[in-house]
Amino acid sequence: MANNRVTTAADETVRVDQIRKSYGPVLAVDGLSFTGSAGEVLGLLGPNGAGKTTAIRVLTTILSPDTGGFAIAGVPGTQPTRIRERIGVLPESAGYPDQQTGLEFLTYYGELFGRRRAEARKMGRELLEEIGLGERASSRIGAYSRGMRQRLGIVRALINDPSVVFFDEPTLGLDPAGQRQVLRLIASIAKERGTTVILTTHLLSEVEETCSRVLILNRGKMIAEGTVGEVTRQASAPRRARFRVAPEQRDRAAEMMRVQAGVREVALVGDRSDSLTVTFDRGGAELTETPAELARLVDALADGNIAILAFELEGARLSDAFLAMTGEEV
Amino acid sequence: MEATAEQATPKAVPAPRARPAWAVVALQELRDLWLYGRGLPLALGFSALLSVVTYLAASNQSLNFLEVHEAVNLALQVGVAVGAIITLLTAADAISGERERGTLESLLLTPAPRRDLVVGKLLAALSVWLVLFVITIPYLWFLGRNVGAVADALGAGATVGTLVALSLASLGIIISALTSTNRLSLSISLFVLLALFAPTQFPTGAQSGWFGDFLLRVNPISAALHWMGKVVVDGHSWGHDADWLISPISAGVVLTAIAVLAAPRWMRLRGGSPG
Repeated sequence: MANNRVTTAADETVRVDQIRKSYGPVLAVDGLSFTGSAGEVLGLLGPNGAGKTTAIRVLTTILSPDTGGFAIAGVPGTQPTRIRERIGVLPESAGYPDQQTGLEFLTYYGELFGRRRAEARKMGRELLEEIGLGERASSRIGAYSRGMRQRLGIVRALINDPSVVFFDEPTLGLDPAGQRQVLRLIASIAKERGTTVILTTHLLSEVEETCSRVLILNRGKMIAEGTVGEVTRQASAPRRARFRVAPEQRDRAAEMMRVQAGVREVALVGDRSDSLTVTFDRGGAELTETPAELARLVDALADGNIAILAFELEGARLSDAFLAMTGEEV
Repeated sequence: MEATAEQATPKAVPAPRARPAWAVVALQELRDLWLYGRGLPLALGFSALLSVVTYLAASNQSLNFLEVHEAVNLALQVGVAVGAIITLLTAADAISGERERGTLESLLLTPAPRRDLVVGKLLAALSVWLVLFVITIPYLWFLGRNVGAVADALGAGATVGTLVALSLASLGIIISALTSTNRLSLSISLFVLLALFAPTQFPTGAQSGWFGDFLLRVNPISAALHWMGKVVVDGHSWGHDADWLISPISAGVVLTAIAVLAAPRWMRLRGGSPG
């Protein structure tokens, strides 16, 4: 590693400093830097191939960075074994031994983290109770549903009581209920244990609820960092307003709105005959809570004797910011 | 009554130490292999095969086609050869299997030294040989019980078989660490095994002369089986043909050293790649 001079502040559990990692000619991570604190949930977002998994593999010591340095829980990246003692990881597409029981699986990993068998077994049982799998402790993992396996993987990452946990796509392949359950569990880990959580996911709407900060990666580079609000403002993502008018006036309303300055697009809402969505040209920080464009639209519709039955200015969404920054849909 | 110092501060019972990682891995692998895995079916199949071989050897012995020591040697050679094959195939699944099932990354993310992971898996693979050898014992006793050939056969079989099994288990671990898929690991292992066993199937003419002799001696399996035959059939002392053990011992030492010292470095997410 080129840079070993990494400092760690008292409340800082993660410090990443200009990490670079390439696979032959392909640069997977390019100058990634960020910090994380105790109790924080950091969302690492990006399209496929953005370098999220590589970044996590570097920080979890599975891969060595080409250049740059990092420290986890105060331990520099040059001491991988000590880092592994302090982190928990749920890798992307983690496999599970079908023939083992949930309790046996957790006991095994507890022992690999240096716990005595009885202690590891006790901790395994407690963790299974915590995620509602206490009654399935003695069932084979092969008989677990995908959601149950994923929850098992999450608590496996907690068997060593880590300072920092990494969850790489923990909601992959889960149904919406399973996704919500897993994200709630992740949020509680940060809140109740004071653990730093670094999470990669494609579920941007859930990230908005779960993550205290997000980092957006694209082609190995970090292109945005901050709270969801900060990132959406940085991205200048376009904002939208939704109007409801009388069905017979909808088409005329759409025509009137399309010719107004500052309006990028007017679209019908699904198969509803009375609703229209207006997308403004400006977005993010440029567009304040009471945009002049909106006032102009309301005036224009009033002048045209079109009754506005309802309207709603939508908040700037992370998905819009993501699209604006990476050019890719999630 | 005045309390003595010992009573006042009861002697602290030392907390049991956590097991070393290699022991944790070995015990889990043993459970996976013998309680849930293919260990028992393989042992059952091995036992059935040995029953057939023993029946044939005993029949030939009764018909005076086969001398008692030759019958014992035949059963022992089958036991050692098949035991070694199964040990190799078990070891060949050790790392590439974890890789394929997606469980390797989680193992690598523990603070357990990679060498301990390899040693634990190697020991579990060797347990296959141990169990299969124990299964062989009653068959050898049945064939050689009347002529006192059993003790020599067991001693020679245990020595040579353990050497061969250690070499092949180490080889399996090395191949498994280097290959990206389980299928490739098993295919390469089987190919190497066939190459190693080929000289034992050469016609007698091809095994004579200096080149035939060299081929037999340099190949650890043919050399080991040859030495075993000399002890069991010809009644030679263990030291009489000890030069035949040079290649089995060398292979055992070299392959085990590579498996324990180098294979941990090759234990990566993708076989043969930096990742």
